Amino acid sequence: MQEGIAVLLLVIDMVISTKWRHWLDFLIVMTQKEIKARYKHAVLGFLWIVINPLSQMLVMGFVFQFFVLVRVDNYFLFLFAGLLPWNFFAQSLIKATPAFFYERNLIKKAKFPREAIVLSIILSNLFHFLVALGLLVLILVADKIFIEGYVFSQLLLYVGRMMWLIPTMFLLVIFTVGLSLITASLNVRFRDVTFIVQLAVTLWFYATPIVYGLNLLPEWFWPFFYLNPMTFITELFHYALLNLPITLIEFWWLGPLIACYTCYLGVVVFHKENKDFDDWL
Amino acid sequence: MISIEEHILQQSNARGEVVIDLKDVGKKYIIHHDKPTLAEDLGRLLQFKEREEYWVFRNITLQIRKGERVGFHGVNGAGKTTLLKIIAGLTSPTEGQVRVLGKVTSLIDLAAGFHPDLSGYENIFLSGLIIGMNKAEIISKLSSIIEFSGLGDFITVPVAHYSSGMTLRLGFSIAIHSDPDILLLDEVMHVGDVEFQKKSSEAIKTLFEKGTTILMISQFVDYLKIHCQRILTFSKNS
Repeated sequence: MQEGIAVLLLVIDMVISTKWRHWLDFLIVMTQKEIKARYKHAVLGFLWIVINPLSQMLVMGFVFQFFVLVRVDNYFLFLFAGLLPWNFFAQSLIKATPAFFYERNLIKKAKFPREAIVLSIILSNLFHFLVALGLLVLILVADKIFIEGYVFSQLLLYVGRMMWLIPTMFLLVIFTVGLSLITASLNVRFRDVTFIVQLAVTLWFYATPIVYGLNLLPEWFWPFFYLNPMTFITELFHYALLNLPITLIEFWWLGPLIACYTCYLGVVVFHKENKDFDDWL
Repeated sequence: MISIEEHILQQSNARGEVVIDLKDVGKKYIIHHDKPTLAEDLGRLLQFKEREEYWVFRNITLQIRKGERVGFHGVNGAGKTTLLKIIAGLTSPTEGQVRVLGKVTSLIDLAAGFHPDLSGYENIFLSGLIIGMNKAEIISKLSSIIEFSGLGDFITVPVAHYSSGMTLRLGFSIAIHSDPDILLLDEVMHVGDVEFQKKSSEAIKTLFEKGTTILMISQFVDYLKIHCQRILTFSKNS
């Protein structure tokens, strides 16, 4: 087994050029730094990954269940399934936006792939997200087996639908990367961007169907939600985890399109601004 | 604007290839008296005020061959560091062409890449990758880096608990092991205590012998006269 991995690594080594290998090594070490440094001196350490969304869910669930926001079996689960991807997105964006500015000492003194600063923040958040999501999936599957008593074929269907999580996560990550690269690059010149992002994220939360379902709103209102890729991503999470339908079929092409274009735009903006970072920091 | 005077101390025997080639290079900065805010930009648009611009230097043409050692000397604010930054690729020139061949390592700030909460050991990887080493390269040089820094058991302690001398020693040790083609030194030869200084100047001498192209900034002309083949003196003239 170990020999197999060694041979595989050797092959990868030969395929990937030196430059790319350095880029990858650097990104991995930066991400490890982000993960390790975050919970140093925190007594509860990695438990915070779960405590955070869990307490958020409990408070919101408690408050919002008094209003009829969504008709599902379990409102707490509905909330949790939407909050996890949202927290990943919001925390990544808020932390990545001022990142170039915070790392100005490094940027002004050494030449290295600067995009790794933003990417490592997103990857470390992705790690936390995956841990929390893995726990949720385990609980859901256990619930289906032990409480609802699914037979094998039903379970297979259920787990099969969860495979939708993979392309969904991919969409979520590239959208977050694109947007973070844009805001972080612009923030080098205009520090206002940090404040705009903080404000926008707060408002954006209510413009995304996390605490409510889209079907509660009047139908003429739906097209506006098309423009928000987070709507599609949240609904996909609801679909994959809780078998709730996607409200509009137009989402299927519009969501990925906007996410991909945002990622492309992020790379373009970063490359254009990157040349002048040293002058503005 | 500044002018640059060139002194050739010894005719370099290097007939090697040109590794640094600057042609009519100039760098312009826009002066901000305060933070660049949107309000400031709007104000300027409304008042049709000109941007305050400042040329650090213009029309610099410079060729450095493989294995040459060039000293940069001159008053503060004359653009020595800006020129090194352009060569290192940290900032782009406003005009002109820059061509640099080979791996450039700059020792402009030795401790810039460190994260205070991580151990010295973990920071070797972080800092080593930042200055352009590969992971495999770092692993193979790890024991040598630790030994040269003289940190001993402190290598597993977070860098936040290091004295400033210890931090610089670790930074210098990592940088000297990066084995660059072109080394940029910005007033960093005087690191640590007397014993470490001896060690570090020996390490730099080894690089001299290896034929590394070296560009160094120093206020000490005598130091440059000993170690360099060419000295560029930057002076301001209004």
